This record gives sequence, structure tokens and C-alpha cells, in this order.
Amino acid sequence: MAISLRDLSVDYTLPQGTAHALRGVSLDIRKGQMLGLVGESGSGKSTVAFALMGLLANNARVTSGTATIEGRSFDLTKRNATADLRGRGMAMIFQDPMLSLNPVFTIGTQLCEVLRRRAPGSDRKTRVAMAQDALAKVKLSNPQRRMNQYPHELSGGMRQRVVIAMALLSEPALLIADEPTTALDVTVEAQIMREIIGLRDRIGCAVLLITHSLGLVTEYCDAISVLYAGEKLESGTVKEVQRQPGHPYTRMLFDCEVPIDCERHADASENRFTVIAGELPDPRQRPPGCIFNGRCDVSFEDCAVIDPGDYPIGNHAGHSARCLRLQTP
Amino acid sequence: MTDAISISQAQLRFGETAALDGVSLAIPNGSCFGIVGESGSGKTTLMRAVLGLQKLDRGEIRILGKPLLHGRAALKERAGFIQPIFQDPAASLSPRSRIRTLMDEVGTVLREPLAATHERLHVILNRLGLPPGVVDKYPHEISGGQARRVAIARALLMKPSILIADEPTAGLDVSVQGDLLNLLQDIRRSQHITLVIISHNLAIVRLIAENAAVMRAGKVVEAGEVGSLFGSPQDAYTRELLAAWPSVSAAK
Amino acid sequence: MSGLVATLKGICSEREGRLGLAFTCLILVFALAGPLVSPDPNVIDVKARFAAPGLAHLLGTDNLGRDLLARTSAGTRYALTLAVMIVVISSVIGSLIGIVAGIAGGWVDRAVTAVFDIVNAFPPLILAFALIALYGKGSATFVLLVTVVFIPQFGRMARARAQTLRNLSFIEAERMLAVHPVTIVVRHYLPNVAGPIIVLASMNLPVVIAFEASLSFLGFGVQPPKSSLGTLIKDGFISINQSWWPTVASALVLAIATLGATLLGEALRRVIDPKTAGVR
Repeated sequence: MAISLRDLSVDYTLPQGTAHALRGVSLDIRKGQMLGLVGESGSGKSTVAFALMGLLANNARVTSGTATIEGRSFDLTKRNATADLRGRGMAMIFQDPMLSLNPVFTIGTQLCEVLRRRAPGSDRKTRVAMAQDALAKVKLSNPQRRMNQYPHELSGGMRQRVVIAMALLSEPALLIADEPTTALDVTVEAQIMREIIGLRDRIGCAVLLITHSLGLVTEYCDAISVLYAGEKLESGTVKEVQRQPGHPYTRMLFDCEVPIDCERHADASENRFTVIAGELPDPRQRPPGCIFNGRCDVSFEDCAVIDPGDYPIGNHAGHSARCLRLQTP
Repeated sequence: MTDAISISQAQLRFGETAALDGVSLAIPNGSCFGIVGESGSGKTTLMRAVLGLQKLDRGEIRILGKPLLHGRAALKERAGFIQPIFQDPAASLSPRSRIRTLMDEVGTVLREPLAATHERLHVILNRLGLPPGVVDKYPHEISGGQARRVAIARALLMKPSILIADEPTAGLDVSVQGDLLNLLQDIRRSQHITLVIISHNLAIVRLIAENAAVMRAGKVVEAGEVGSLFGSPQDAYTRELLAAWPSVSAAK
Repeated sequence: MSGLVATLKGICSEREGRLGLAFTCLILVFALAGPLVSPDPNVIDVKARFAAPGLAHLLGTDNLGRDLLARTSAGTRYALTLAVMIVVISSVIGSLIGIVAGIAGGWVDRAVTAVFDIVNAFPPLILAFALIALYGKGSATFVLLVTVVFIPQFGRMARARAQTLRNLSFIEAERMLAVHPVTIVVRHYLPNVAGPIIVLASMNLPVVIAFEASLSFLGFGVQPPKSSLGTLIKDGFISINQSWWPTVASALVLAIATLGATLLGEALRRVIDPKTAGVR
């Protein structure tokens, strides 16, 4: 295991009270693997990334959680626990690439800056060459010219490529990509995802892809973890989870996806879209029992009382879900 | 039968770029029509032109056979035929007005007695599954899902025969987007409304629309019945779009 | 009503806001209660000239033996009345012009902006002297002057807001429903422009008070025997060797009034417009 995250809980202090954004979330990502962390808005998926990077807002507090990255253990409840990993052991791709790029410096300057921290003592010429090489590797057209351009001169997709090049240069053990393609068009999305995969294969890092799109996960990821209202409901390999979703929420989420090859019925009333009825529970007061109880279509009496544990599914290692129906008596 | 919307040779330039470059489309009455394309394809500009929010450089737009004119009298007449559903419908509710005020405005425009407006509103709210008490609230006091329905209710209060929805599912979670799409389909069927859906989401358009057009760089690259358009695309760009779409079923 | 309570609560949530509110209330009470507790500000009593603060005259008297408490209170009242009047007139006119320019765009917008620029190009004091030369000294001239100087400020802000609002969905939705343009301006533009305008207005109050004081100090403002904070400071300053009280007392009132209004304005901005308050 290259990366493991254990029992991460994060609270936000709000004027209306304390909201529990994450409750005991654990993740494992193998080296060279891409884990898709799927969740809808309010699931706390971005909070996982921010807690790992130590970029949480001021009103957030990590109440428990340890991260193990390349054999080193970090207590996430301490402020700046992972500070010395930022830019070296960990890199992050945001939805908005402008968050990672400084608008007043050229692309070249910023890439060389990464290298200066990464490999102190190297001379300028090698750094420039390496930066240009990285831009070429992420298939940015005309890398030589891009080096002297400013972020605002590039399109969204090109900026995201630059950020990937930066990650490539910093050679992280863990790359966190938080909705990296949400602001991009589908055709660009596919290209950017390919570059992220290329980066992973090149430096053999672990990738945590945070997304709301099951489509992206099934297409590009090796493993999947499903987050709902701050709790991890299911995790496993993409293949297993898709074949046999252990948690009703996962199954319903897959049902909601509209496949591109779905044929239209001539009778318009047949073309229904699937919906998960109900709303997210109040993050300030967790209801007893299963967190998904109110919206579940197969719940029974115990679901409202007993908080389910993480039960394994089948005999596939690593596939488990938090649903009482999986409990073996 | 006249088309609900017919566009011929629409041209519009913003400085150097051609936002619309000779677009011609005919949207049949009573159908659901999808316009797909990526950002910068001109699909939103086209919608704004059809709504009269954007003047064309050249070309003609006809709505139910009548040429689209600018000016207040024309706008007033058109408002009764065609209504938009904005990308973020919740943002199309004026933040400092009660929902009742917003609904009454529609009655004033229609020169209808308020009692009649309220009666129709009651029916519409009921159909959209909104509690009657919602009218006494301010937009920020209701949930996002309710605000979307209120915005649609307001458009329906105008008794339009054409609804244009711009990216209706943008920013929505998959678990709730279906709710909105089902609602739009129901409205369309029960009121015999022409529904135009502008979206980057090919999968949704394929399921909801009968006909669709694919736009790119201000041009319609391909248009037709969705089955053949998505089943056997003729244009290379359409094929590229379909191939890039990350779909659950694509996983092995 | 609950909005007002929430605003007050917001203002009181920080020390500066509480201080500003306290100072402003103090000045208001001082200005309004003056006539109730002290004698006529214009009664001359030569025997009691330059009296030190005492029971008969709480703040002492000036060179003509007039009660300074009464005169400072009257001066403050005068300054506040002028300031509120000017700010209200200029914010209303400025907002309407700004909104119309912002919505109309094109040549209307260009013309309005050009006029704003021309007005702003004059330094206020020079403009003041020019207007005084034209219309003579007095409150009317002063009100006209400051109103004209402030209209562009409010106008610019309203115009910028209106331009943003014009492209928002809810304004477009109103237009698509063919709602009457006047209704759109009154019901949908004005309330959404009001927040920042109110903040700007409250921040301009101390500016007017100080400007009025400086013009009066130079002798171009209010004319004797009426009193204003500026003339009080000047008169006190002339006879500062006999008595330092008048200058200090009236300057202190001026300081508290402007400081209070400024702090209150800042706090109001923080409450009403948290976004712009963050970018300081």
C-alpha cells in the first residue's frame, strides 16, 4: 500500500452549529493505481483532499485521522501535518487550474520554480530543458513558446495540462485530482484524463480522483470509493463494484447514470430518468442507524437503529460496503 | 404545419470570432429538440437570439411563423409564446421579491385579474408538487430544488407554447437531475409544448429529444432524428464527441 | 424589521462597530438635546465672555459671552442636517442616473460617464469657490455644491451594479416575461443596488461634515450669527490665547462625529456587503 488514510473525521464550525463533514473515512490507494472517490455535492469528497493537503478552511478541524504515505505516518489532527509533503510527496490538480497557477509569472518560471525545490543545485539551463520536456510530455502544443506565456494566454484545457506538467516535475507519491475536468468540454476531458493516466504510469504514483461522475470513474479508475454525507459507503475495484454493487446507494447511483448508448423509446412516457428521492441528512445531527436510511429502497427496521459496520462482499479482497443486508449472521 | 422555430442563415460575430456562422434549423411544433455542443459552439448564443436577447447580424428567425422583431410590442407578444428556463433557474428569481410578487407580475403582464392568476398558479404549483405556502417566501428561503420548480412554474404561468431550457442539468447531481428532466417531459406532454433543450450532455439529449442538432464553432455540423444521429453519426466531430463521452456502460 | 435587527447585531459584533454606533448615538443625542437643556445659542452676554465651564455654562462661553454648549449643539445639528440632506439627495439622484445609464448603455452611458468625469475633474474646494463666487455664500450653495460633487460617486457605483445586474438571469427572466421596464427598475434593480449605495452614503456622511466644517472655517460656509462646527473652531482659534476651551470642545465634537460616522459606515459595509469588505 502506497497510501492509506485511516479514520478521517472533519468538523466545520458554522454559525448554525458544528457540521460533521467527514466521519471516519478510510481509503487505500496502491502505487500506480487510480482510486475514484465518488460522491454528490455535500458528500465531503473535496474535504478529503483538503484535509490530506492541509488546505482546510479556518473553520474546519480534523478530529481524527492518520495518513500513511510511502511508509511515513502523519497525524492529520495536527495543523500542517503534511506541510513538508506539499509539492514533493503530494501534488494536487484543482478544478480551476488558475488556483495552482500564479497569474503574474510565466509558465516557464513556475515550472522551474517547482524544479528548484525538487532538485536544488541544478542549473537554470537543465531546469528550463526539463520544464520544456514536461510540457511536451503532457502534449502541450509548441512547448518552447508556452514557456514564455502567462496563464491567461492559455485555454482552460491547456492550463490544466500545465498543472499536470507541474505535478509531473514534482514527482509526487500521491496525486490528488479534485474534479480536474468538470469545467472542461468532453473532448478535452478525455485528453486530460489520458494525460493524468500517462503521468501516473510515468512516475508510478498513486492517484486520488475526486469526482461526481461515475462515468469518469468506470472509464479511467482501478478502484472506487463511494462517499455519501461524509461516510464511505462502499469501496472495491471498479469492476467488482459495478458488477455487484454492495450498497443500495451505489446501485441507485449507477441507475441514475444515463448511458450514452441508451436507445430512445418511441413512446415518450417510457423515457424516464431515474431519481434518488429524498434529501441529504442534516450534517449537524447524524440520524441513528444507517446514514442512507431515509432514501433507501430496501431498508428494514434495523436500518433506523443499527449503524452498519463495513462488511466484505463475496470473496474479493477489498470489496466492502456498509449495509446491514450484507451482515452474515 | 408551421414550425415552432425556424432559423435561416443566422450570422453573428463578436469581434473576430463568429458566434453564429450561417445556422439554419427548423424545430417542428410539439416536438422536443436538443441542441448539443461544447463551450463556444454557439448553442447558448443561438438560444439568446431566438429569445430576442441577442440581435443577429444577418439571417432570420421565425417563431410560429412570425418573424422575430425587437421592440417592446413584439417582446410582449412573444412572451406569451416562448419562455426560457435559465441554466440556474433559481438565479432567475429576483432575490429581493417574494415569490407571490413575482407571480403577480405575470398576471399584470397578461392583463388578467389577480384572482384568475392565483387560480391558475394554484393548479400549476400543485402539478409541480410545490406547497401553496411557497408563494409567501423569498427565493433564498426555499431549497434549490423548489426554486427550480418555482422558476418553471413562473414560465408556465405565461402559458407559453415553446420552452427553451439552457443546460437544465448543469451543476445538478445525477440523483436529482432526473427529477427535473422527468418534470420537463411531463409538462411537455401534458401541455403540448415544444421543448428545446440546450445541453452538453449527449446522453440526456439522446433520451429526451426526438430530434437534435450538433453545433460546433457557430455551425450546425449535423442534425436529425436522435436515433440515427447518435446511432450512426455521419460527421467526424459527432463521432469524436460520442467517443469522448465517459459512460458507465463503456467499462469492461 | 428583522433585517434591521440583524444589521444592528452585525454592526455590534465587532469593537469598531460598537464604538461607531456609540459615538454616532452620542452625537445625535448631543445635537438633538442641545436646545432642551441649554439657553439660546445667540444670546450675547458680554459680562460673561470667555467664562470657563461651570454650572451656568457647561462648556463655558465665547468672546461674546454666548453659551458654547448651545452653540456647539446647534453647529452639530446644522452639520448633521446638511450632511443627511445632501447624502440623501445625491444618492437618490445618483442611483437613478447610474441605473439608467447602466441599463441603457450606448451613447446614454457614454454621455453620463463623461459628465461624471467632468464634475470629478474639479477639486471640490475650487468648485466651491467658483459656486460661491456665482451664487454667494450660504447653506443653499453648499448643499448644491456637495450634492453635485457626490452625484457622480453614487452614479458610478449604481451604474456598475446595474451593468452586472443587467446580465443576470433574474433580470433577463423579467425581460422575457415582458414586465414593464419601470417595474423592473423599481422592483428589481433598486433593491439590489441599494445595499452598496447605503454603505457609500454612510461613509460619505463624515466627509460632508468635515467639508462643511472646513468651508466654514475658511469663512465660506454658514454666516454669523448662526454657528457651525467650522466657525466655532475658527472663532475659538482666534482667541485661543484667552481661552482654549472653545476650540478643543468644538474640534472634539467634530472628531467624534466624523470618527463615529466613519466607523459606523465601515461596520455597515461589513454587514451589508461582506464581499467588498473582504477586499481591503
